[in-house]
Amino acid sequence: MKNNLFRVLTLMVVASMFLAACGAAAATQPAEKVKVVIFVGMGTGTDPDQVDAQNQLAQKFNSTHDNIEIEFLIVPHEEYATRYLAMLSGGNAPQLVGPNGVSTVAEFFDTWEDVTPYIEADKYDLSDFYGPAVELNQYPDKNTGLPLGLYPSYIYYNKDLFDAAGLDYPTHDFADKSWNMDKLREVAMQLTLDKNGKNATDPDFDPENIVQYGYDDSWDGMRGTLADWGAENVGRPTTSDYKTAVADSPEWIQGLQWLSDGIWKDHFIGSAEVQAGRDSAGVDPFGPGTTAMFYSHTWFLAEGLHDLSFSADIAPFPYNPKGDRIARIDADNFTIPKDAQHKQEAWEVMKWLTSPEIIVDVCRIYGCIPARKSVQDKFLEQLKTDYPGIDYDVIFKSIDYLDKPNNEEWIPEWGKIEDALNNGLSLVYSGEEKDATKVLTDANAEVQKILDEYWAAHP
Amino acid sequence: MQLTLKPPRLSLARRESLWAYAFITPWIIGFLIFTVGPMLASLFFSFTTYDIVSAPKWIGLTNYINLIHDNLFWHSLGVTFKYAVIALPLGLIVSYLVAVLLNQKISGINIWRTVYFLPSVIAGVAVALLWARIFDPKFGILNPFLAQFGIKGPGWLSDPQWAVPALVIMSLWSVGGNIIIYLAGLQGVPTDLYDAAKVDGATTWQRFRHVTLPMTTPVIFYNLILGLIGTFQYFTEVYVLTNGSGNPARATLFYNLYLYQNAFRYFHMGYASTMAWVLFIIVLGFTLLIFRSSDAWVYYEGQLRGR
Repeated sequence: MKNNLFRVLTLMVVASMFLAACGAAAATQPAEKVKVVIFVGMGTGTDPDQVDAQNQLAQKFNSTHDNIEIEFLIVPHEEYATRYLAMLSGGNAPQLVGPNGVSTVAEFFDTWEDVTPYIEADKYDLSDFYGPAVELNQYPDKNTGLPLGLYPSYIYYNKDLFDAAGLDYPTHDFADKSWNMDKLREVAMQLTLDKNGKNATDPDFDPENIVQYGYDDSWDGMRGTLADWGAENVGRPTTSDYKTAVADSPEWIQGLQWLSDGIWKDHFIGSAEVQAGRDSAGVDPFGPGTTAMFYSHTWFLAEGLHDLSFSADIAPFPYNPKGDRIARIDADNFTIPKDAQHKQEAWEVMKWLTSPEIIVDVCRIYGCIPARKSVQDKFLEQLKTDYPGIDYDVIFKSIDYLDKPNNEEWIPEWGKIEDALNNGLSLVYSGEEKDATKVLTDANAEVQKILDEYWAAHP
Repeated sequence: MQLTLKPPRLSLARRESLWAYAFITPWIIGFLIFTVGPMLASLFFSFTTYDIVSAPKWIGLTNYINLIHDNLFWHSLGVTFKYAVIALPLGLIVSYLVAVLLNQKISGINIWRTVYFLPSVIAGVAVALLWARIFDPKFGILNPFLAQFGIKGPGWLSDPQWAVPALVIMSLWSVGGNIIIYLAGLQGVPTDLYDAAKVDGATTWQRFRHVTLPMTTPVIFYNLILGLIGTFQYFTEVYVLTNGSGNPARATLFYNLYLYQNAFRYFHMGYASTMAWVLFIIVLGFTLLIFRSSDAWVYYEGQLRGR
């Protein structure tokens, strides 16, 4: 009996000591930080050097914030859709997603939180952002996020090839209307050479053995390729109510025929076969030095303007046949999934990533032009260090000519319509169909069918 | 103290059965959770509209009806059939012939067997990337090889007419698995049958035609069934080579690629589930047909015809 009593007392003492120790520990433990997982992989951000830079950014944030901790979750770009959807369906949504292009915002449009209430609650000042950057995130029923960066488009040109052909460089004067699509075609043909050194304007030119092309815009889809041709709906293949397909507009047909003729008649643009060769070799159109002019965006600076064996510069995209200049634009932001558990904390992180103090660092990681006007000079200095010798004015001035409606913005059944249109582009690039009217009439019918089905299911 | 031995409550056979069940229980649990569960879930989803994010909504047979009117469904089925019709018999014949060659008694045969099997252990993605280089019209090795014979090679993966044939050629790279199974079958043919045929004056061709071929029909049948299922599930290589687009000009939009697009690009998970079940029914139908036909052409040793 005495033994039992002793055991009970001992147990009580040990238990009370344990509980007291736990209580003391709990009393001195700082409040736990809320973790904000940032899903990276929808666009840029997965290269090893970018991963390191993002980890440093996380350290910077975590060392200066007591209540929130951030972690970048790097997902291979090929897996972004399956991984993101698996996280959502598994009830494990990331708190923040980005950097997102306009396209991936559109792709997962219904999954994003509207940040308007957060902007209003904080009376957050948006005036420092470029107006178009804000507009690109603003849809009729929601604002998908604060702008992070812009990627205006322009022509990258190989100065050595122009010199070798004895041609003037493309003008950098935005007011010079002689720099139009006809002029681009003319110059590009002169810069296209066969193995005998004859250019594409020469009657003896050998199109079977081309060694140098004048122009390339193969890294964009149908909407991006045709957005600059001045159609009423610019980069959107539907009317503003999204109910009628307008992919067969005269401007789009004119643009696609220009491309088709450029490949198959005038030979200054490489076909699908040429692209496949580059893809399998893992090279971009511009880097090998066999393309005189490459139409692309600011993100190509980080991707392709390193270690070139030739001199390069950039020039504005030409005026379209209607006498207007439209230079399509890409943009990045961070978005909060509707199902995120810590939306308020995610909003705080979004504000930090796009703040004037940090946005330049963030854009240096991702290669974008910071969406804030106040940091333009600071960013310009950085550009001069990173990419010396190019005309920086072209980058910033091109923003004024962006495509609106944007070539990547949301439409119903975004992915399905993109694929329908890009199939048309593939027909042209592969030479399966060279008549733009036929391609776009068929594509338009397909898009209309998709829209009709969508609206039948969403009355 | 007296020991009394109680008779066991369960018979030996019963206890063995219980042990067997105990051992296979982990597999059964895994099968139920990771195979039967998702299958039943996908069957349910096939009658719903489901975008992964929102709750599924019951729509009855609508997905099945929509499938009939979906041009791309028929197109993707056509692409898959086109591939299957060429790749399946070609793969079976080539692997059989190679297996026959590898069944000869020549020096270094094990090295040859290893060489032919080696490509099969390479992952599909790596194979796809390798062949993308081989098919490259300008920098690849295939077209310059053809040029030696005065043949101008096509843009294999960029020409809609040649994309599927290119994939068929690529599929021959991975016939090592079939070869191993055929080899096992060939080595199981009793030698006394060949001896008897020789005594009867049969030529080499006659021995192959009347002994080897009939005696290996069970393994041909096995490879045919697996090959059929494999070709209808063709996905990885074409996904890698076309970036999931099915281009050029949808020439490589295989059934499973279109299914994947519906599930993970268009977020029509319900519709994709419908496609999965229709594929299951199609493959099941063909498999049953082949099983049905097997009475006429598959010969099992010791089996009497018609029994």
